Amino acid sequence: MTSIRKNKLFMAVLYVLVFFMLAEWLTPVIVLTETGHKALFLIFIAVGLWMAFLRVPWWFSGPIKILYILWFIIYVYTGNVFFTGEAISFLRTDFGMNFSALTSQNWAQTTDVFRTVLFFVLLWMAIYLIHYWVSFRLSIFLFYLLTVVFIAVLDTFSPYSGETAIVRIMVIGLLLAGLLHLARWMEGHRILERTDKMAMFAVPLVLLVALSTALALYLPKAGPIWPDPVPFITSFSGQGGVGSGGSVGRIGYGVDDSRLGGSFIGDDTAVFQVEVSEGQYWKVESKDVYTTKGWELTENIGESFIYGNSETVDTDFESGEEELESAFLSMEQGFPFVLYPYGTQSFSMEDSLDYQYSTADQRFETYQNGQEFEPEAYEISFTEPSYSLAALRETNPEELAELPAEFGRFLQLPEELPDRVRDLAAEVTESSDTVYDKTRAIERYFSIAGFEYSQSDIPVPEADQDYVDQFLFDTKRGYCDNFSTSMVVMLRSLDIPARWVKGFNEGELINSEGGTDVYQVTNNNAHSWVEAYMPGVGWMLFEPTIGFTGSSSIDFDLELDPTDPEQPDQQEQPIAEQPGSADDEEAAAASGSSFWNRSIDFISDNRWKLIWAFVGIALLGTILFKIRHKWMPKLLVSYYRMGRGRSVRFEKAYLRLLKQLELYGIHRRPGQTLKSYAAYIDSFFGTREMSELTEAYERTVYGGDAESVDWHELRESRENLINRTSG
Amino acid sequence: MNAKERLEKVIDNIEKVIIGKRNIAELSIVAMLSHGHVLLEDVPGVGKTMLVRALAKSVGADFKRIQFTPDLLPSDVIGVSIYNPKDMEFHFRPGPIMGNIILADEINRTSPKTQSSLLEAMEEASVTIDGVTMQIPKPFFVMATQNPIEYEGTYPLPEAQLDRFLLKIKMGYPTPKEEMEVLNRAQSAAPIEELTSVISLNELLELQKQVKTIKVDETIRSYIVDLSRQTRQDAYVYLGVSPRGSIALMKASQAYALLKGRDYVTPDDVQYLAKFVFGHRIMLRSEARYDGITAEEITERILAKTRVPVQRLVGQ
Repeated sequence: MTSIRKNKLFMAVLYVLVFFMLAEWLTPVIVLTETGHKALFLIFIAVGLWMAFLRVPWWFSGPIKILYILWFIIYVYTGNVFFTGEAISFLRTDFGMNFSALTSQNWAQTTDVFRTVLFFVLLWMAIYLIHYWVSFRLSIFLFYLLTVVFIAVLDTFSPYSGETAIVRIMVIGLLLAGLLHLARWMEGHRILERTDKMAMFAVPLVLLVALSTALALYLPKAGPIWPDPVPFITSFSGQGGVGSGGSVGRIGYGVDDSRLGGSFIGDDTAVFQVEVSEGQYWKVESKDVYTTKGWELTENIGESFIYGNSETVDTDFESGEEELESAFLSMEQGFPFVLYPYGTQSFSMEDSLDYQYSTADQRFETYQNGQEFEPEAYEISFTEPSYSLAALRETNPEELAELPAEFGRFLQLPEELPDRVRDLAAEVTESSDTVYDKTRAIERYFSIAGFEYSQSDIPVPEADQDYVDQFLFDTKRGYCDNFSTSMVVMLRSLDIPARWVKGFNEGELINSEGGTDVYQVTNNNAHSWVEAYMPGVGWMLFEPTIGFTGSSSIDFDLELDPTDPEQPDQQEQPIAEQPGSADDEEAAAASGSSFWNRSIDFISDNRWKLIWAFVGIALLGTILFKIRHKWMPKLLVSYYRMGRGRSVRFEKAYLRLLKQLELYGIHRRPGQTLKSYAAYIDSFFGTREMSELTEAYERTVYGGDAESVDWHELRESRENLINRTSG
Repeated sequence: MNAKERLEKVIDNIEKVIIGKRNIAELSIVAMLSHGHVLLEDVPGVGKTMLVRALAKSVGADFKRIQFTPDLLPSDVIGVSIYNPKDMEFHFRPGPIMGNIILADEINRTSPKTQSSLLEAMEEASVTIDGVTMQIPKPFFVMATQNPIEYEGTYPLPEAQLDRFLLKIKMGYPTPKEEMEVLNRAQSAAPIEELTSVISLNELLELQKQVKTIKVDETIRSYIVDLSRQTRQDAYVYLGVSPRGSIALMKASQAYALLKGRDYVTPDDVQYLAKFVFGHRIMLRSEARYDGITAEEITERILAKTRVPVQRLVGQ
């Protein structure tokens, strides 16, 4: 039988079509990267395909391609048409440069020549891949689909216009796919390649493609179903950062926080490095107005103070009593403000600079000669604030009513805020007496009430939804913005002044020498947290976000707590009471039943999640079962490979093959013998293997002669068949 | 030279004379190897006699032909004792049955009495006359022919007698192309005269012994039994295949396997031979005749619905 693959004319047509298809890939790349010499690249593709078509042995075609690539480099980069001495020495020096750049991992130093070579290698691989698809698999659909997607994506997101290219690709691809299908079909049915047979299929194919193309071009086209996605996406990604809205944002510091929510993708772009004795939270600013969707800043409020280098600054946080520490920041992204830790006393840098502090948002903007200035490196003197536990224990909620009017803006809440948020805040803090305890209760609430930290799949609240309400009651999963905003809102509902703070967390410790740690802070470290006002104590940092340890690094100090000798008793009383309140028996009984209670609670809390998980698993299982003929053989092939020469294994493998064929859709009638079934299988696939296997199997089963079966020899036949049925 | 090659030589030899009937030649040899006999059912003139003669010549066997007529007597078949006045004793004159390969032509034209004398000889491979039992020389192979039943002036063979034939074969007409080749050969000298034996009688006996060594797996035996039982349960069947029929199918399958060069029987052998073994052993009800169903069709149906054993039985 002459396979259709042997028909030179047919294959030549395929390769020409493939050439045009590859050219469609090349064109946008050349256009977009502004690379010249498109014709020379096309010649490379043409030569490569031509040699693949002629089945030129690799030891011949390989050197020719390499020579061509070298010639291309010489011609393009030196202008020489031939391999002159000058050209060869250029090649040699360039090779040396790239080699040393690569070995020293200095990627930026590689030259254009190197990139050109890489591009050629890519083309080479593409040629080989397509050659394989066309000549051996007789299948092009995947590549065709990818081409369409490639052009569509480029047309949408890049300046390249694929309007005519997509038409060309449709025509070429349909012809190619159709002809390859014909080839597969003829092979599968063992139809001899004869020109009239091929024409019977090919002529209608060409006519159909031509007709459908003409029709498609002629017919009026509907406008786009969706608006152009590019402005939509750029409008968000441009302002990306913590606090930007949109479906998926890129993490990092941003200015606009008016629409929170949405998922984030990580971004490890460096922001700054800092040398400091211990990791700090780096504050940028705070915001005070909660809009049900996000945060804004009250305009025209507060005062501004201007400080110079090394001048003591006055923030809402008093420096602690320990010795001053220094932090050296070297910025890797430019900001017209400084980042500062809690307890900052002064800034200094080489340039003379004004630090303008605004009490509205506690931001230190940097100016030089009246112009905004982005400092590159600066030093900060600071001491972490410390708080008196005794004073915190005295924070009476009644004092909140006596706070001055300027705290009003830190109690602002939108009228639309659902009552259940207020109710929850009241419920959580029910058993707490002091302001501090109430605040801590809310801070802790998130980690004990089943909230989950996640950056992905976080919704943006709809027009009629409240951001906090959605997080607290519906989703219960989110990232720092969700936690911090919720805590601020809950605090405010209890009349505790609170504000929402943005900045960066400690970052990643990358070096530690002699008591100084070096931290690398990236966009991933952009963070938001909470500051709350404790009457009689002042502003304090709180960290509600699960997995972050912000509050501990700025914790109050028990030892230095100046307390009266009487007070410890009072302090310890409530602590002592708690374990005393339950006897041992009750505790034991409680722990016994609590497991059940907790399980039942867990089930009832997560009922829908569990149901969905169950449905999902069941669905997945069903799908896997339905398509088992696709994946199971691959497992079985390797499984049976492990067995060596055992006839029992061969029998099992053969029976497994029968099942696989059954699944594939070739049924054996009950009265059909294996031999006639095998003959049918072989005629179906155009193979001989099934008959060989069956003969061996029959010899084992009916002849009882297991020893003479060479299972090793047959294994390949079997795997070949299995692969055919699962392909 | 192994059994397969030898037997193929015989078949090739027969094919020189009988054109396009390789399967008939094969089946004849199968019957001969398994000590069975063949009932050829067909119209005259399709080469039945030629087939038997070619077979006899190929194995170097003694060939006899008995033309059955309504007035043929049993003694005309098995022989008769004749009184010799000289020594005043009866001397046995052997009949035509005392040969290796017998063509019993148009067996349904003779009286049942004569028919049964032949059939008894076939079953016992011996004849008894006047209290003296005489063995028929080995190998002994009878090929009986009969015209299809609907012809007038015949005595249909009784069911019990039919059971003694291992296979019933229909020869069928040759294709036009084959028939032209027949004409072509008929112009020259009769080719049957030129045939020589390709195996000896002893070799044939050896092969007959070899048939008994062909392995019939338990799965195959159960398959054969399944098939026979199915014939007894079919709604159209008045009398199904007897256990003797099952034995016949097994023996024939063994011989066929040997012919195909295997030392074990496969379900394909059984399926192929079932049509020839069961065809004359299934007695149909009259309903079947009204519905135009033949025994061959019943067999086909049973073969299609009986599950072929494809695995070793558990515990083996």
